[in-house]
Amino acid sequence: MILKGALGVLLTLVIIAAFALPITPQPQSWLEFPLIPGLEEKARIIFFHVPTAWLSVMAFVTSMVFGIRYLRKRDMMDDIRSSSAAGLGLLFCILATATGAIWAKFNWGSFWNWDPRETSIFVLLLIYGAYFSLRSAIEVEEKRATLSSVYSIIAAVTVPFFVFIMPRIMTGLHPGAKGDPDGAGPVIEFKMSPNMRVVFFASLIAFTLLFVWMFTLRVRAARLESHLQAKG
Amino acid sequence: MEFLAEHQLYIVMIIVVGIWLGLYVYLFRLDGRIRKLEKESRHES
Repeated sequence: MILKGALGVLLTLVIIAAFALPITPQPQSWLEFPLIPGLEEKARIIFFHVPTAWLSVMAFVTSMVFGIRYLRKRDMMDDIRSSSAAGLGLLFCILATATGAIWAKFNWGSFWNWDPRETSIFVLLLIYGAYFSLRSAIEVEEKRATLSSVYSIIAAVTVPFFVFIMPRIMTGLHPGAKGDPDGAGPVIEFKMSPNMRVVFFASLIAFTLLFVWMFTLRVRAARLESHLQAKG
Repeated sequence: MEFLAEHQLYIVMIIVVGIWLGLYVYLFRLDGRIRKLEKESRHES
C-alpha cells in the first residue's frame, strides 16, 4: 500500500519535473536543465524512453529466472510468473520502440534508421514474439511450460548482447555507440547534468515499481484463472 | 489560458499526467477487484 502510494506520487512528480523544468543555454538555478545542442526540448525523451527499455530488460531477466525455477521445481506457478514477465517485457519493448521511432522522426529525419540499437530491439521483438507463438502452439500444459522455460533462458542469454554489447561495438546514432565511451553521442554531445540525473533515476525507480506492481497483478489474475479452471 | 497558449509544453504535460493518473486509478481498482476475488476463492475452498 505504501509502495503503491509512493509510486503514484513519484511518477507524477517525475512527469511534472520532466516537462515543466525549463531548458536554458545557461542554467541559473538547480530547477533548470542545460540546453543540449542538437536535442533542445527533445532531450526530455530520456526520462521516459530509457526506463521503458530498462524495464523490458528487467522483465526478460525475470522471465529467465522463473523459467529456471520452473525447470528445477516443476511448479506451474513459476511458468505463470515466467510468461507474465515475458509479456510485460514485450509490452515495454514495444513502448521503447514506438517512443524512440516518434522521437527519431523529429531528430534524425525518419521513423526508422536501422541504427544498431534499433536493429537489436527489432531482433528482440522478434525473439519474444516467437516466445508467445511457441506458447500458443502447444496445448499440453507441462510440455508448454518446459519448452517455454528453456526458450526464455536461451532468449534472455541474447538480451545482454543485443542491449549492452552490440550497440556499443558498432558505430550508430544512439549515445554510447562505438568511439563514444563517455556516453556522448557521435551526433550530439550528450551528458546529463546532475539535476537531469536525479529526475532520470527517480523515473527508473518509479518505472521499476510500476513493473513490480503490474507483474504481481498479472500473476495473481493468472493464478485465479488457473484455480477456476481446476474447479471446472 | 493565455499562459497555456504561450507555453504549449505544459499542455503536453497535463495530458501525460492525465494518462498516468487514469492508468494508476485503473491499476488500483484492478488490484482491489483481484483481492476481492482472491478472498472469495479462499472462502470457497
